Amino acid sequence: MDILMTGKGLHKIYRTGEVEIEVLKGIDFQIFQGEFIVVLGQSGSGKTTLLNIIGGMTKASTGELYYKEQPLHSVDEYHLTLYRRNEVGFVFQNYNLMPNLTSYENVRLAVEISQSPLNVQDVLSEVGLEAWSDHFPSQLSGGQQQRVAIARAIVKNPELLLCDEPTGALDIKTGIQVLIALQKLNRQYHKTVIIITHNVEIAKMADRVFYLKDGLLESVKINEQPLSPEEISW
Amino acid sequence: MVMLRRKTWRDIKENKGVYLACIVVIVIGLMIYTSMSVVVENMDKAQKDFYSETHFADGFISVTGYPENKVNALTFIPGVDQAEGRIVKDVRIVDQQKDSNRYLRMVSTSMTNSPKINELRLMTGHLPTDNQSEILVDPQFFAANHLSLGDSINVILEGKQATFTVTGTAQSPEFIYIMRTAQDLYPSPEDFGIAYVPLSSLKTLVKEKGQVNDLVVTLKSGVNFDSVKESLQTVLKPYGLQSIVPRKDQTSNAILTSEITNIRSMAKTLPVVFLGVAAIILYTMLRRLIEQQRVAIGTLKAFGFTNQEVVRHYLTYPLLIGTIGGLLGGLSGVALSFPLTTLYKQYFALPGLKSEFSVKYLLVGLFLSLSFSLVSGIRGSLDILRLEPAQAMRPPAPVNASKTSIEKIKWFWQRLSSQAQMGIRDVFRTPTRSIFNVIGIAVVFSLMTVSWSMQNMTNLLTVVQLEQVQTYDVKLSLAHPTATGATKLALTHEVGVSKVEPVLEVPVTLRSSWLKKEVSLMGLSKDSSLYNILDKNGHRIEVPNQGILLSEHLAKTLNVKTGDVINVESPWRREPIGSKGENLLVQGVVPQYVGLNAFMEEKELQRFLRQGEISTSMLVKMDQSEVGRIKSKYRNASNVTSIESLKDTGDKIRKMLDSFGFTTWLLAILGGITGFALIYNSSIISLSERKRELASLRVLGMTPREVLRVITSEQWTLYAFGILLGIPLAYGLEIGMAQAMSNDLYSLPAELPPVALLGAAVGTAFSVLVAQSRAYYKIKSLPYVEILATRD
Repeated sequence: MDILMTGKGLHKIYRTGEVEIEVLKGIDFQIFQGEFIVVLGQSGSGKTTLLNIIGGMTKASTGELYYKEQPLHSVDEYHLTLYRRNEVGFVFQNYNLMPNLTSYENVRLAVEISQSPLNVQDVLSEVGLEAWSDHFPSQLSGGQQQRVAIARAIVKNPELLLCDEPTGALDIKTGIQVLIALQKLNRQYHKTVIIITHNVEIAKMADRVFYLKDGLLESVKINEQPLSPEEISW
Repeated sequence: MVMLRRKTWRDIKENKGVYLACIVVIVIGLMIYTSMSVVVENMDKAQKDFYSETHFADGFISVTGYPENKVNALTFIPGVDQAEGRIVKDVRIVDQQKDSNRYLRMVSTSMTNSPKINELRLMTGHLPTDNQSEILVDPQFFAANHLSLGDSINVILEGKQATFTVTGTAQSPEFIYIMRTAQDLYPSPEDFGIAYVPLSSLKTLVKEKGQVNDLVVTLKSGVNFDSVKESLQTVLKPYGLQSIVPRKDQTSNAILTSEITNIRSMAKTLPVVFLGVAAIILYTMLRRLIEQQRVAIGTLKAFGFTNQEVVRHYLTYPLLIGTIGGLLGGLSGVALSFPLTTLYKQYFALPGLKSEFSVKYLLVGLFLSLSFSLVSGIRGSLDILRLEPAQAMRPPAPVNASKTSIEKIKWFWQRLSSQAQMGIRDVFRTPTRSIFNVIGIAVVFSLMTVSWSMQNMTNLLTVVQLEQVQTYDVKLSLAHPTATGATKLALTHEVGVSKVEPVLEVPVTLRSSWLKKEVSLMGLSKDSSLYNILDKNGHRIEVPNQGILLSEHLAKTLNVKTGDVINVESPWRREPIGSKGENLLVQGVVPQYVGLNAFMEEKELQRFLRQGEISTSMLVKMDQSEVGRIKSKYRNASNVTSIESLKDTGDKIRKMLDSFGFTTWLLAILGGITGFALIYNSSIISLSERKRELASLRVLGMTPREVLRVITSEQWTLYAFGILLGIPLAYGLEIGMAQAMSNDLYSLPAELPPVALLGAAVGTAFSVLVAQSRAYYKIKSLPYVEILATRD
């Protein structure tokens, strides 16, 4: 498999006034194209920060990050934006949909800045929401909202899909529906998917599991036989 | 970005109240700007065109009698281009039905050889025929007196009755704003008008044959009037020179020009105030929107929207508001310019003055509105650039967790309710927003003080001038300076007359270094009780035995103070050739609200003139029931030009001030709307920022009114600071306004009585209360359970 991303000695320090908090303390990793990765760790372990750095939402304080062998750690804000625009799709725990745009419009919003977008209706059908395209987020259930968020992320046809606790706000049934959609993307369309969660059950779906503890990558576990979402429960 | 445009539209719909308030403030500002700019441009153009087409004179000279055949000789004076001699006579209209005094100023004009100076523009009818008793009258007098062409008017001219037929109406550049005397303040076309009579006809009716009593001159191009004035004075002095007035001081022109200047300066300053407040509202609103949509901004950035794209999106809000406000404001301003022009036409008879749809000012207005909106938008949306997507996804850190400075005043802080503490704390924790709101409130407050001080001015003009300064009942103006004795004696013996005081009003030129001013110098007797000079506190000041007293506005114009020496020159003074007036000590500077005068002791003024004991008018204190009789008896006397009843003058002035009242209230109402918009915006922001806090208070069991106290305590704190800042601002505005609006007719005192400050504070508080009542309904309908159930 081709290497999609490489991180070397990533540190992240947040400064609030005179207080410094080192969230990441030197992380090295490699991510391969088409992998399904789950990042596990307790609250405060640095999962979200790592995801944000991988997604180009923030820069590491020190260290190197390469995407398809191109350095991301040294590019300017504009090129980081282009990276997010063309290569990355995000799914957030709280969906972050635009409350006053309908499902269709939320997805269409991403299309307007994409180079090779997919068809909005096709993507909404893919996540099982074609009948809900005219509904505003407030008229949808949590699971439906999260699926709109997934549709919005994948309509850009990104290489990398980053999901921050995508099932965190959902009950098990809708959570599994969301995971089915994500796995489908990974298996059928060979998109690289990274999920961060503290739900150890979801890790059973992954090709590899990154364990984060106190800002360090404690271990990486390879799943020889990843499970399908229908086979897991929590 | 179709989807983002939809988002904008729906965001605006959700908060339409605030956006609407902002649009209203922009519309107010631009309506004022556009309407006044259109009017001022129309007036300016109409004035220039009319003056140039009719060859408006550069100088106006009044003499006792100057030989008609010598008029042409005046053009030999270097600098003088053309000269025309005229007979000008004020005549009383004989009216069987009415007891009122109606007058016409008869101005001779050469009908056959159309004069090259102050050419008449025939509006209706036809020109009078030479040697016939035919006249043209000014259109306003014609309309106000319901005249028809061919009507006859009987007048008393130099004691004899004469009848004239009206053949038409005409307008002269000399009488665009028509007043009989400068004390009249405003035109009264029903009582006074201008009649243009063929010189050949008028000549036969006056005593002084072959003589004119009025001269108008034009100057060669590039010549300054002052350089010609001295030569004219020397030539005309032997002919009883009474006054030489340059074009800039000619009453009609001075008032028209000063009005144009005033509207122009108002068109420049007032809109800035309103647009400034609109910019504050837009800025705070946008800041709030951006804070509120932090996560949305983060999400957009996470998706790959560039900073420029996101900023552009947020700039569409102010730009949309600016465009709507700009267009509506511009259009309503253009629409308002039509009735405003009609209103000005009632006062200024300017042919060619008309309002037209102005694309130019519509575009300028739109540009102004967009500029203000864009600047506030850019200032408000700068935070977007600083916001990193990962950072935007997290709720913002609390602004300041430490205690605010006001909490250190323990005895005050501990007396406050929890809601008040929450509200006041927020004022200090969002300093930029609070400062902007304080400035906005201060501006609204100072606008309102203008309204109240206008009321104060009304009081000064009516109460002080008509009840304390002028305490006579009747003023009898004499045709020429006359020996005092006989006239005074005759009046004293009239039934009902309790006191007669002679007054001498003399045209003078006052000079201090290179500054000079032509005014009327009033000679009053030391013990005068019918015309009082008052100090600022309303106490009577005695006229000094020697020296001169100046009104405040006059002293300012001449840049002199008490103790300085000024040169006083008068065409009435008998002095050797080469002598130029006398230097007099300024004994005091006194307030004067109506008119522009200098004052001297009567005997001292007579000494200065070297003409013996003369006077120009008689002030009479008398029984009101006898006023009518005295008027009837004296109005036909050949040496009496007018008999003015103070009661009638007072009624006229009050009528004029009533029309001012509308403007005053309008300004207060516009200020109030602006204040409402500002506070309403602040309430909505507080509500949306605090909805979780407020929802918690509701869940705790507080009533909507108790919860409202969080918002109101914040706003009353801002209000208090706003008023504190507003007081010096109001004083500044008052001084500026008094200077801008004071002219030779009246001067406004630059003082703010406590009642004006109090009234404005109450007015501003009222707009705060109205805005809070809207906030109350929002709190009442707050879905607190849902708010607490959702994540921030």
